[in-house]
Amino acid sequence: MNPNQPDPRTTAVQWLYAAPALVLMALVNVVPILQCVYFADKAQALAGDTRLWFALKHTLAFTAIAVSIELALGLAIALLLFRPFPGRGLVRACVLIPWALPTAIMAMAWKWIFNDTYGVLGDLLYRVGIAASPEIAWLADPLKAMGACVLADVWKTTPFMAILLMSGLAGIPEELYEAAAIDGAGPVRRFFLITLPLLKPTIALAVLFRAIQTFAIFDLIWVLTGGGPGGSTQMIALYVYDTVFRYLDLGYGSTLTLFMAGCLLLISGAVYLLFHTREAYE
Amino acid sequence: MKLARLSKVFLASILCLSAACGARKPDSGGKIVLRYLDEPDVAGTAKEIIRKFEEANPGIRVEMVEGPSATNTREDLYATSFLSGQDTYDVVFMDIAWLAKFAGQNWLRPLDDFFTPQMRSEFLPGDIQGSQYQGKIYRLPAFSDGGMLYYRKDLLQKAGFAPPETFSDLVRIARKIQDPPKLWGFVFQGAQYEGLVCDVLECIWGNGGDLLAADGTVKLDSPEAIGAVRWMVEAIHKNKISPPGVLTYQEEESRHLFQEGKAVFMRNWPYAWELLQKDGSPVKGKVGITPMVHGRGKKSAATLGGWGFGISSLSRHPEAAWKFIHFAASPEIQKLRYFRTGRIPSRKSLYRDPEIIKASPHITALYKVLLAARPRPVNASYARISDTVQLYVSAALSQRETPEKAMQSAAKEIREFLSRQQ
Repeated sequence: MNPNQPDPRTTAVQWLYAAPALVLMALVNVVPILQCVYFADKAQALAGDTRLWFALKHTLAFTAIAVSIELALGLAIALLLFRPFPGRGLVRACVLIPWALPTAIMAMAWKWIFNDTYGVLGDLLYRVGIAASPEIAWLADPLKAMGACVLADVWKTTPFMAILLMSGLAGIPEELYEAAAIDGAGPVRRFFLITLPLLKPTIALAVLFRAIQTFAIFDLIWVLTGGGPGGSTQMIALYVYDTVFRYLDLGYGSTLTLFMAGCLLLISGAVYLLFHTREAYE
Repeated sequence: MKLARLSKVFLASILCLSAACGARKPDSGGKIVLRYLDEPDVAGTAKEIIRKFEEANPGIRVEMVEGPSATNTREDLYATSFLSGQDTYDVVFMDIAWLAKFAGQNWLRPLDDFFTPQMRSEFLPGDIQGSQYQGKIYRLPAFSDGGMLYYRKDLLQKAGFAPPETFSDLVRIARKIQDPPKLWGFVFQGAQYEGLVCDVLECIWGNGGDLLAADGTVKLDSPEAIGAVRWMVEAIHKNKISPPGVLTYQEEESRHLFQEGKAVFMRNWPYAWELLQKDGSPVKGKVGITPMVHGRGKKSAATLGGWGFGISSLSRHPEAAWKFIHFAASPEIQKLRYFRTGRIPSRKSLYRDPEIIKASPHITALYKVLLAARPRPVNASYARISDTVQLYVSAALSQRETPEKAMQSAAKEIREFLSRQQ
């Protein structure tokens, strides 16, 4: 028997083995998605829904800013922790801690950090001499509140970015660096000529993961600001939650969910165009 | 609508698996089992009430599920359980603000056959008014709640002021006495959440305005309502009697500041009284209460809070459930609850109870506040109305928008979705 030609019986058995998992996946993924499409109504209301566009604006701004900072910091941490040094394992583990902690609980802690009367951040800035008073109402001002959300999200998810990028760094052959060094390229040139181009697919993947997660952010904002003040940190996922669970409007909630899915497809497409150039594979 | 019902079943099936799975109640030894969801029973008061009830009614067992302390989360837990069509909960322990939404979805059993008009007359009028939806009664008030103004008796006396009555009185006295950031003039609940609606309603009502008129028209963009919101905005940004951080304050943040002696006035609920008077409290014996301030020539208003019991329309034991809730809202139990937890009675007779008056002389002043207390709009879309008010009032308080613009936008949005619904 030709080993390259799959035996039809084996294929059938393989499908049989996979069937329970596939059925389960269909039940928990495909069926709800189809039902979501089925229940969605009032799509014409989307255009006139001021709260939606308001939330979309904030969500996009939040996603763009948070993911950019996470990428920059994550890359720096990855480069730092990739080279071996004594105690690297311990440091890597420490860097991961924020990622491992439950978001809602950390959001609560950030709420205390940003508190206007006893928050530690205001106190620190005051002691360093940057702030005139330790009592800074971070979450009471629209801009500062958005900044606070970004800071909390960056702190929480940069480790994820760093870990993904480290795995990408591991895939770059050491010989390339050696050859470039022999040719006289310094560390900066080596970074831009070798590391960055070869890391591009990993960066694309990491940015995609993070953009999708950040765009759908719920827990951090819900606990930290509840969307306030004045809706300045209102995100789309919070609006979907309110529509379904507080206003009991499943039809429009489904429409909003599909709208969100559409946005995510567009974002994914944009990230693909931005990073997935052919040269990355050459 | 069939689709709506179908959609709810679907929603529940994917999202409340736990509620659905845990729904079957064991009928222990032929006893009727009643279940309800409440906040964490830290002091053990709820368990004590249940024990007393079970002793008097050996055929019934009551199970209290201790839920999260955030009330809106418990609201969602009840809602998801009802959406799944399960009789998980027989008794519904609910905030007055949930009533219209729950009754509008037919999740609650009307109590008219149990709760006679004569029995109703024993309760505070606002509590009864807020328990009714479209002509039927759905809730038995267990304890009441109403917003009011706390003030520093000692500081006002020293400066020679009587307690304020009008908005401008409060500003004048606060500016005279305050010394920020050590001592602020006025703290309230300014975060974007349900409490903000309670605070702003007191200002709007006290200024002669309203959110929804009796005929259901939206009144948020009236000069009275805009003026009330402007007063709050100016308290922070122009008169600077409220700290900028008030935009993040819920009840406890304002109480902490006031209790530490860092504020002259505080708008809050009655619960704060007991805590302020506790041994070790820096303001013990230095606090007075008075109705919330109002516009010149207008009357004070209090937003009615308070909790009560309803019966699920899915419960198979409505008679037993009524027995329990009637017991849990009886004068003796309300008195016990008041002494254990400081929860304010909803029965008028208890405000004349010698023991209560002896222990808490302020209760007579409180009674006046509660008699004038008004429920928030009893509307099936209240959650959405409230969110819209929160959003725009918070936008005004953070100066993203002017009070006029914010209230006009809020009124427009509320009119839009109310008209879509009809």
